[in-house]
Amino acid sequence: MSTDWNSGVWPDWCPGCGNFGIFTALKGALSELGIMRERIVLVSGIGCSGKIPHFVKVPGVHTLHGRAIPFATGIKASNPELKVIVHGGDGDLLGIGMGHLIAMGRRNPDILVVIHNNGVYGLTKGQASPTLQLGRKTKSLALPNINSAVNPILLGIASGYTFLARSYAYDIEHLKACLKQGISHSGAGILEVIQPCPTWNNLVTMDWVEKNTYRLKDWDPVVKDDEDAVKKAQGIIGLESGERKALGTILVDRRKETFGKRIASIYKNYSTEPPAAQRVEVEGKALPIDLEKTFPRFFIQ
Amino acid sequence: MVKMDLNLIIGGPQGGGIETAGLLAVRALAMDGLEVFADREYHSNIKGKHSYSHIRASDKRVRSIKYPVDFVAALDVESIATHYKDLKPGGVLIHDSALLDKSLLKLPPMEKERVERLKAELDANGAGATVKELDEWLQRNGKVVLQYPFSKTIVEKVKLASPSIERAMNTALTTVLLRAAGMTLTKILEAVDSLFIEKAEARELNRAVAGAISDGFDELSGTKKLGTKILGQERPPRGKRMLVAGNDAVAIGKLIGGLRLQTYYPITPAADESFVIEQHAKLLDSEGRAVGSPIVIQAEDEISAICMAIGGALTGVRSATCTSGPGFSLMAEGIGWAGMNEVPVVVTCYQRGGPSTGLPTRHSQSDLLFTINSGHGEFSRIVLASGSHEEALDDAVKCMNLAERYQVPVIHLLDKGIANCVTTVDPPVFGAVERGKRVEKGTGEYLRFAIGDDPVSPRAYLGEELMWYTGDEHDERGHITEDPDTRRRMYEKRMAKREKILKEAPDGDKAVLYGDEGFEDLLVTWGVSTGAAIDALPELRSHGSRVAVLQVRMVEPFPADYISKFILEANNVIGLEANYVGQLAELIGCNTGFRIKSRILKYTGRLITQDEVVDAYMRIKGGEERVVLTGGE
Repeated sequence: MSTDWNSGVWPDWCPGCGNFGIFTALKGALSELGIMRERIVLVSGIGCSGKIPHFVKVPGVHTLHGRAIPFATGIKASNPELKVIVHGGDGDLLGIGMGHLIAMGRRNPDILVVIHNNGVYGLTKGQASPTLQLGRKTKSLALPNINSAVNPILLGIASGYTFLARSYAYDIEHLKACLKQGISHSGAGILEVIQPCPTWNNLVTMDWVEKNTYRLKDWDPVVKDDEDAVKKAQGIIGLESGERKALGTILVDRRKETFGKRIASIYKNYSTEPPAAQRVEVEGKALPIDLEKTFPRFFIQ
Repeated sequence: MVKMDLNLIIGGPQGGGIETAGLLAVRALAMDGLEVFADREYHSNIKGKHSYSHIRASDKRVRSIKYPVDFVAALDVESIATHYKDLKPGGVLIHDSALLDKSLLKLPPMEKERVERLKAELDANGAGATVKELDEWLQRNGKVVLQYPFSKTIVEKVKLASPSIERAMNTALTTVLLRAAGMTLTKILEAVDSLFIEKAEARELNRAVAGAISDGFDELSGTKKLGTKILGQERPPRGKRMLVAGNDAVAIGKLIGGLRLQTYYPITPAADESFVIEQHAKLLDSEGRAVGSPIVIQAEDEISAICMAIGGALTGVRSATCTSGPGFSLMAEGIGWAGMNEVPVVVTCYQRGGPSTGLPTRHSQSDLLFTINSGHGEFSRIVLASGSHEEALDDAVKCMNLAERYQVPVIHLLDKGIANCVTTVDPPVFGAVERGKRVEKGTGEYLRFAIGDDPVSPRAYLGEELMWYTGDEHDERGHITEDPDTRRRMYEKRMAKREKILKEAPDGDKAVLYGDEGFEDLLVTWGVSTGAAIDALPELRSHGSRVAVLQVRMVEPFPADYISKFILEANNVIGLEANYVGQLAELIGCNTGFRIKSRILKYTGRLITQDEVVDAYMRIKGGEERVVLTGGE
């Protein structure tokens, strides 16, 4: 893989951080997908995961805590030619940003959300995140966690996401394959990445991951029709209620219209002239809008 | 020609078609060649509570409402009870004769305190407690009462059955009102056709109702004593004009200014702006070809709305959002990010009564200090406050240009008064659309935040070059840094824009003086209150005062030098604004060191009226320092 995907900024994650695996796999995926560099936009939130756009040599928008999805949605809706990928942590996307995550599923824009799931808030020193199990106490917590964990995959189904997958930060090849699939998917995707945090989370260790995850086999994630969609949803609830976490592609539903198509069905010019492709002036003057034709009801005859 | 100043109130229950009644009357008056200004007052309620339109029409331009009024047209008893005392001597109360036996004190939608106040008031003047008794009292006291059988006429002549009668009552009331004021049926029907231009069924129903009621009006002998032929004169044609609410004006301005992405989360009184943009998704040229097609996205909350708009702006799209105080609170973090990242994004903020959800549907000018300080830390932004519908439209275009020219968030500060008031405006003249500084191709590595002589760096859009953005402090490429030297230089680059903006802003964008040079007293105001002050000027001068009005338009960065010139010229400076503190007066104090002691303030949620400005000014001249206004229901 070409080192050309490094921005040159020193990745300042802790030694052993799962983000390094995600970083490596992402560069590999982008390189293999062959998308023009300038046409990619990495949008991130706040936290350790939020820094990833600075390290990759593609345009990056490091936004506010929990708000990467609305930024990404505005970018994608304005210029559908851009390949938009969101990176955020479990605290960012499932805590403060939960509402936006759900709203994105309802819209189904052509955006992949990569959830760096390490069970803690890393950059504020290890508080419990929304994916930490009830009653667990990491070494950084004074008392056991009193909230139940949310499952991003189940939340993704309920919200209308059309691509769902789970991978592991240190399994670069598997993660890269999931990233490639998710980035190529047309519609809203969630890729949950189980990511050890060696500094704060002493529960989700490499050992734990080895014992508590398994690769999906004989599971066809592709939804064929409405009946199949129901069956898949039930199957996924079954998968997700098991003791061990399934790794792989969990759902691919190509039947739902993307946000872009929905916009185009209302705004007829959208597919050929999205906002970013429209002129707004002619030689520094406002466009020749005929106000009476455009706004007849405001005129008094 | 006789100078004409017609003031009228049309009231009824929310959901009873009062908004349509008001729009019909306003349209009829405007189509008759008059200038109009109409306020709409309503509760935060969908059906049942008291709402009304306060309409003013004149030969000359009007920018405010005024009490007392010539007519009160009431659809229900609460409207009679609320507005009977707003009538001037000789003024006319119009209501359905079916209401005569109703009690004035058994009105469930009215708040207890108001019923108590009303009871005390009626007892004190001996007016009785039924509509009939009140009518008699009004007549004894020099008012005219026109009890008209609306419902009966509709049933008999239009053959409508309930509940369709309710749908027709508003037009019936408006027809009687306009006929009583001297307008011909022909003109009323023209207005009906124009108002319901896209709704054939409603048009026919309302034509039939207006016709039947008007016939009945001619038959009614009691109307002869009215003697209020205010309307019905021939007026010179005024050319093409538009009739717009403030929300409409801003929507049109944004579209002329090149808006292509509007995001919003529903909130009163801002949301109508987005509806207007949605309804005009195709901008047409004179040949009927689409020359633009903006999109509107309803976001899941205001946080999302501002962030989506910023995302759009990063791709080079002219993007904006609109909201009111509670939504603006949520947008503060996004505005800060836009400030840090020098993003041109426009936020239209319509002030309403706060704090919290306060008075959701009522007027206020209490977010000035909040908007100029919103977001933590320090960053350059522009806040423009429009004082009229024309300014709202022009400023909407201007805000788009300023945002891109200086690469800063721009807040367009309006109020419910402008949002919901309807007025006549001349069609706008199209001006410049400035896209600001762009990067030249082939100049090597692109630095989004290049530090040079100009604090504004050349811009590239996402999709064109490599670039990075972050809410953290950053270097010229946009990467995070905590280096103290870079921090200082980048901080100074961002803040230097304030000076640049102030230096380059035309004086007219900073403040406008209305009235004679050589003034002794200066009324300093902003927003929709400006209209009441300007309208009050001739009367103030007729009292022998040498007074002028200074309207402040740019509140951030604050044009302290320019404002000081006027303030130092005056002997007495009086602040006039719709809030408790006197926020503009405070801001002037902060920036110029000049303390404005005399303040005229109002925070009941209702507009400051022309007559209130006159009274308050006299009180200030009489030695009062702080005059608090309370007029209007």
